[in-house]
Amino acid sequence: MIAEGDKSYVLFPLGEKRFALRAETVTELARPDSVQTFPHRTPLLTGVLVRRGRIVPVCDVAQVLIGPTAPAGKFYLIANCKIGVRQELTAVPVTGECELASAASVPLTGNEPPYVSGMLSLGDETIAVVALEKLICAEATT
Amino acid sequence: MKLLKQLRPEVKAAREDVIVFAVGGYKLAIAAGAVKEIRGMDDLHPFKLGGISAQIAKLKYTLERNGTTYFVIDAAQHFRLPASNASRVMVLRNTPTGVLVDSTDRIMEISTLHALPPAFTHEERGWYRGLAVVNGLVVPIVNHNAFLNRSELEIVRAGLERVRGVVSV
Repeated sequence: MIAEGDKSYVLFPLGEKRFALRAETVTELARPDSVQTFPHRTPLLTGVLVRRGRIVPVCDVAQVLIGPTAPAGKFYLIANCKIGVRQELTAVPVTGECELASAASVPLTGNEPPYVSGMLSLGDETIAVVALEKLICAEATT
Repeated sequence: MKLLKQLRPEVKAAREDVIVFAVGGYKLAIAAGAVKEIRGMDDLHPFKLGGISAQIAKLKYTLERNGTTYFVIDAAQHFRLPASNASRVMVLRNTPTGVLVDSTDRIMEISTLHALPPAFTHEERGWYRGLAVVNGLVVPIVNHNAFLNRSELEIVRAGLERVRGVVSV
């Protein structure tokens, strides 16, 4: 039963913590594939994946969300992300299995980083909803 | 409909021969038509010209060929990679530029050129014309005009003319 006002989210683990993306932005959870790298200077991007003939950049958001001690990703959560005027698929390495959940977001305190678009309260756990495009754009300008 | 258009990746279908080369452990490729000659490290003269060397640190050597002075760029430094073991020089066509690379591999044909994903926002946007996928491997196709761009070339030429003027006096 989904309460009125609830939305669907994909919950994903990064180490000991979980974060969420709005479910409508997520297109697939992919098994590990070989990330291909080439010289570049954009922070957070670790390379690209080739998925069904398309080139998908890999964005290691864990560096921002939990810091440099993040464990290696086991899967890639592939989500749509608006970069400039274009919608683009972006792969996010996650450290375990993901879960689809419906929840109402709780009010933000105002102290959250700009890339947190909401907070979910699931039992004892409070989970930050990540606005991927804001996180990528903020890091790109650093 | 608009969303579909926005999601469609930019892909240019055009057959093109490219030369695969290696720098710092990475495989890259350059349009075959942009390369005039591939040669060894012989006849390179270290480039040392005070202010210019400081401004354009990737400019390492000059090469005299048929009355033309080529300015030889260290590709590892251009791509901000650690120093690598350069062994070949790609002399470019239509620009007095040479590029030091670790090795050259083969000529291959690519059929499509994917735009660099917009998530890449830094210097690499100028470095590459796009990405090719060859047998599942992603190979960046370099923008050969970026090794020594127009303003850098002006700086180098002006500096050389200044020096030659001083010498002739």
